[in-house]
Amino acid sequence: MHTSRHREKRARRLLGLSVAALSAASMVASTATVTYAQSVDLSKWSPEYVKSIAGTKQFDAAKDCGAVVPNDYTGSVSYWYTGPFEADPAIAHEQDKAFWEAFKVAYPNITTDVQSITYNELLDKFRTSLLGNSAPAVIRLQILGGVEFAAKGYLQPLKPEDVGYTAADFWPGALKSVTYEGVSYGLPTNNETMAMIWNAKVFKDAGLDPENPPATWDDVVTYSKTINEKLGIPGYGLVAKQNAGNTPFRFMPQMWAYGGGALDEASAEPGYKDVWINNAGSKAALQAAYQMYAVDKSVPTSALTNTQGENQAPFIAGKLGMMIAHPAEYAKMTDLASKATGADKAAADEVVANMRYGLIPAGPDGKRAVVFGGSNIHVVKPEFVQGGKVDEQAVKALICFWDSPEWSTKLAWVGSNPGNINGFLTDAMKERLDTIKFLDVTTSMLPNGIPFPVIPQAPEIMNIIVPDMLQNALTGNMTVDQAADDAATKVQAIVDGGGGI
Amino acid sequence: MSTVQGQAIFRDVPEPKRVGLRQKVWNSRFDYLYVAPAIIVMLIVIGYPIYYTIELSFFNTPASLALSAKQFNGLDNYVTILTSPIFWKVTWQTVVWTVVSTFFAFMIGLGAALALHREFVGRGFLRAILLIPWVVSAVAASYVWKWLYHSDFGAISAMLTQVGLVDKPINFIDNTSTSLYALIVVNVWKEFSFAMIMLMAGLQTVPDTLLRAAQVDGANPWQRFWHVTFPHLRGVSMVTLLLLAVQNFNSFIIPWIMTGGGPAGSSDIWITHIYQLAFGRQRWGVASAYAVILFIVMMVLGYFYVRALTKGDDARAAT
Repeated sequence: MHTSRHREKRARRLLGLSVAALSAASMVASTATVTYAQSVDLSKWSPEYVKSIAGTKQFDAAKDCGAVVPNDYTGSVSYWYTGPFEADPAIAHEQDKAFWEAFKVAYPNITTDVQSITYNELLDKFRTSLLGNSAPAVIRLQILGGVEFAAKGYLQPLKPEDVGYTAADFWPGALKSVTYEGVSYGLPTNNETMAMIWNAKVFKDAGLDPENPPATWDDVVTYSKTINEKLGIPGYGLVAKQNAGNTPFRFMPQMWAYGGGALDEASAEPGYKDVWINNAGSKAALQAAYQMYAVDKSVPTSALTNTQGENQAPFIAGKLGMMIAHPAEYAKMTDLASKATGADKAAADEVVANMRYGLIPAGPDGKRAVVFGGSNIHVVKPEFVQGGKVDEQAVKALICFWDSPEWSTKLAWVGSNPGNINGFLTDAMKERLDTIKFLDVTTSMLPNGIPFPVIPQAPEIMNIIVPDMLQNALTGNMTVDQAADDAATKVQAIVDGGGGI
Repeated sequence: MSTVQGQAIFRDVPEPKRVGLRQKVWNSRFDYLYVAPAIIVMLIVIGYPIYYTIELSFFNTPASLALSAKQFNGLDNYVTILTSPIFWKVTWQTVVWTVVSTFFAFMIGLGAALALHREFVGRGFLRAILLIPWVVSAVAASYVWKWLYHSDFGAISAMLTQVGLVDKPINFIDNTSTSLYALIVVNVWKEFSFAMIMLMAGLQTVPDTLLRAAQVDGANPWQRFWHVTFPHLRGVSMVTLLLLAVQNFNSFIIPWIMTGGGPAGSSDIWITHIYQLAFGRQRWGVASAYAVILFIVMMVLGYFYVRALTKGDDARAAT
């Protein structure tokens, strides 16, 4: 007994010493950590809070990252990303150019080999380069792009501490999107969510409250029907095309709000094993979509072949009541209005003036959810990189600089938000809020963001199975129950590693 | 005397030597050399992908594994495909798409070729106009037709509504019963010019003298067409039909852009289905097995095409 108590004491002492040693070690490590975590209080998040904290803190990316990788470090790094292209506004090009100039000033001895590749080409080009061992050392991919490569063993583990940050500097949902089987394989660079956009004049003409969007998804069904009956135009811009990312980005928030999901991605601790696509919540969401499309016929008939792009023309023409869209939609509509002529110009200007942004509707129990979008930055394993080497220090310098509060904000100027949440404190954020209309609304949805399941099968589930389920139900090919059950069988099969054709 | 001399001459002529295969190859060595660059390029860009596709078709390629870690599963992919009701549904749709498109493109092309074969004012202009669908990019044409058909704001529906023929837009491509046929119309529009050109060339080979003789013998226009013109078009018709069929089996752009195979898979054909399996779902093994099946069908069609193309060669060589 005595011996066992003695052993217990010794064990406790050892544990205590270990904890102390670990604490000391972490403190040593944290000397190279840029510590400004927790200066943004996520629990207070609201449009007002976002505005109140903007411009309250200054950051120096060169100095902060210099503490992680000395500014006189000599090395090289190759990098692929989707940078600004011709159609992007001038500000995006200016910020991109300014970033590379600032990086050169901060790290004059690091040479960079940078390729900007279009969104649609990046994944395929990266896949090909990996097969030929000619990939870049660092790549920035769309939020769900990385998991496929992490699962296949192409990426190196990468966590915030590796480049001088902490987990508290990023949205928890965003960190979830880079975590595969408990290991972090990247860092979020920018995050955004969508919002409900409506035409206040259409609402008013239909006898609805022009200044408030539908509060719940059930209200969306009712509003859509009212608009269609009163004005003869589609009320809600439903999108249900097969093999198109637009479809799950708009339908999953509805499923989550009703308590459904593809897997358990909307739960607090998702394990991505349980299939929820045919639970009561998912079926209720599918029923609501069926009600609008097949019963009320209050949404575009072309929803089955439409992407969000096809909703823009009727919206700017005043022929669509509401839709779910991106933060940059206002800029797009303003651009479309500026290109219109004659009577179309007056109509388009009127739509822009009556454009409103609101929160994504909630479910019957008040649950509000939206897809957590954005991009992540990843480091490739040396054996798949051109030349077979990865200059670790140069890689860290680049990622630290890109993900700094200042540049994380500036590089997401037009269509997104900083991945590093300290970016919300910067002057750049204040300028964005002052110049980009409705930005406060879309940023305020971030805490409601849910990432798609972080499993390599997610693209197939989201882009193929979910739209298939919608199409089967909306066309009457199957009943709502049959469509949901059919989708559940398919999801289960591919999660189990199989799946038919 | 002369006979004797003649016999002596024939006796001196040596027996023709039989040339062996090796000698034949050696004699044609420069021919092989000239085609070698093309053969090498084909081996690289066609031969290797075919080999790799066949190899991949015997492997399982789960989304969670790198392609290099693929798992051998024998004929499982073929069994999965051939026992799937979706495969047979898509196969039926592919057959409908191919047969209906080929038939109508050929018939309309034949009609246009016969009409344009006659001399009349503006024939050249009309010929140019009718060539437009064939010249226009399939991608551009698909987008234009998508908007013509659009279920809410389509130009066709708008026109029909204006003239009072319908009271609401017609649902051409967002409807599971009509989408495939709506796409076939676009495909026929795009392809009939090709048939027209081929058959116009064939019509040039019909001897005018035969047509005149038939006319003198009292044959009516249909008899002249059926008994004189058509037999001369048989070869070119066979080639045209086979080329159209091969092209239609391999169609991708029009269905992919206009409907993506939807709604609910109602306009999915082989190539769109394979593409979605490979690039949409990253299921390389199954997609490869599917492609091998399609390849076999294509090879059979190719065999008939080559036979049709070289039908007269043996006879000519014998004379």
